[in-house]
Amino acid sequence: MTDHDPIDRYLHRLLAELRGRTGEPRRVVEEAEGHLRDAQAELVAGGVEPGEAAERAVRAFGDARLIARQFTDVRSATVVVKDLVGAAIVLSAVGLCAIALSGLLALGAGRAWGTTFVAGDAADVTYTTTRCADFAEYAPGATSCEAAAAAHHADEVVVYRTAMVVPGLALAVLAWRRRRRLGPDGFAALPEGFVPIVGATVFGLAGAGLGVLGLGALSTGASHGAGQWLSGAVVSLAVAAAFGWQVLDVLRLRVSWGALRPSGPAGLGR
Amino acid sequence: MLRKREQLKGHLDLLLLSVLAQRPAHGYEVIGMLRDRSDGEFDLPEGTVYPALHRLEELGLVDSRWSDDSGRRRRVYAINGAGIAALAERRAEWTGFATGVNAVLGWTS
Repeated sequence: MTDHDPIDRYLHRLLAELRGRTGEPRRVVEEAEGHLRDAQAELVAGGVEPGEAAERAVRAFGDARLIARQFTDVRSATVVVKDLVGAAIVLSAVGLCAIALSGLLALGAGRAWGTTFVAGDAADVTYTTTRCADFAEYAPGATSCEAAAAAHHADEVVVYRTAMVVPGLALAVLAWRRRRRLGPDGFAALPEGFVPIVGATVFGLAGAGLGVLGLGALSTGASHGAGQWLSGAVVSLAVAAAFGWQVLDVLRLRVSWGALRPSGPAGLGR
Repeated sequence: MLRKREQLKGHLDLLLLSVLAQRPAHGYEVIGMLRDRSDGEFDLPEGTVYPALHRLEELGLVDSRWSDDSGRRRRVYAINGAGIAALAERRAEWTGFATGVNAVLGWTS
């Protein structure tokens, strides 16, 4: 591959024009390359100099913007909906697994700082005798009704959250199968970087919100229940950071076409 | 030339189905077959055949697969049962239309 090759230059231009217009830009580029190399070879066999043959093949193929615009018409609403469903599957899988991870973090926080830190009720909460007896039955070793209630709530936080790993992994398998089937162009009908941008935004907002709730609980001095919010905040912000890193990758790709080459189709990868 | 291209685009699906009904072919071959069979009359920008082929595939009228037979990877398109039925239907429509147009043109000439 050289930047002086008219065919390679054309293919880069075509790929740039195709992004967001069709679900399979790399397939189109690969087909176009096969076509252009065939046309060039035929001209060379007829006595045309290779560089001139490449120029002629590109001219005969048509303007890259014109060709790409026709693929816009090909892209149907179905493709966009399919890509949106695919994006929702990825984001849901990540979200559910993140919830499960926050459950494990809450478990660790409970062991380190006690179940009251994770899910203790606020100081002004009172319990009826019956409710207190229920909690005492659940946590017979607890020294008070408040401690028994905190143990009960903390277990709920851990169990319910970690259970999310089951649907999370099921969706992750679906997402993995889809990626294996469609390859890296699986979201090409959506704006470039759609999944990481939405992921960074959603998880960033969730992390900030949970962080505010956790810090609010800490600010009461008793720190009751702060752990359940802070465990969620830590995981959400970590996921948001991971998506944010991907967004940076997308931005870097935008400014450097060269970065596309290693994963591009045959001609672009050479 | 531009008017001829616009007219051709309106019938490109019919022409492509007709070409593929002869045998499966990749885009470069399809263009060549179109040009040869029309004695050079149909001379679109070659790249415009690909959006049309993709559209036919999306409509379920042709199937495609990658082929490495001659050393270079090419996407080969083949008409399927639904495509053959669609070709018959569109051919009948075109024949009726062309017969009508010819009749009127013959009347006025």
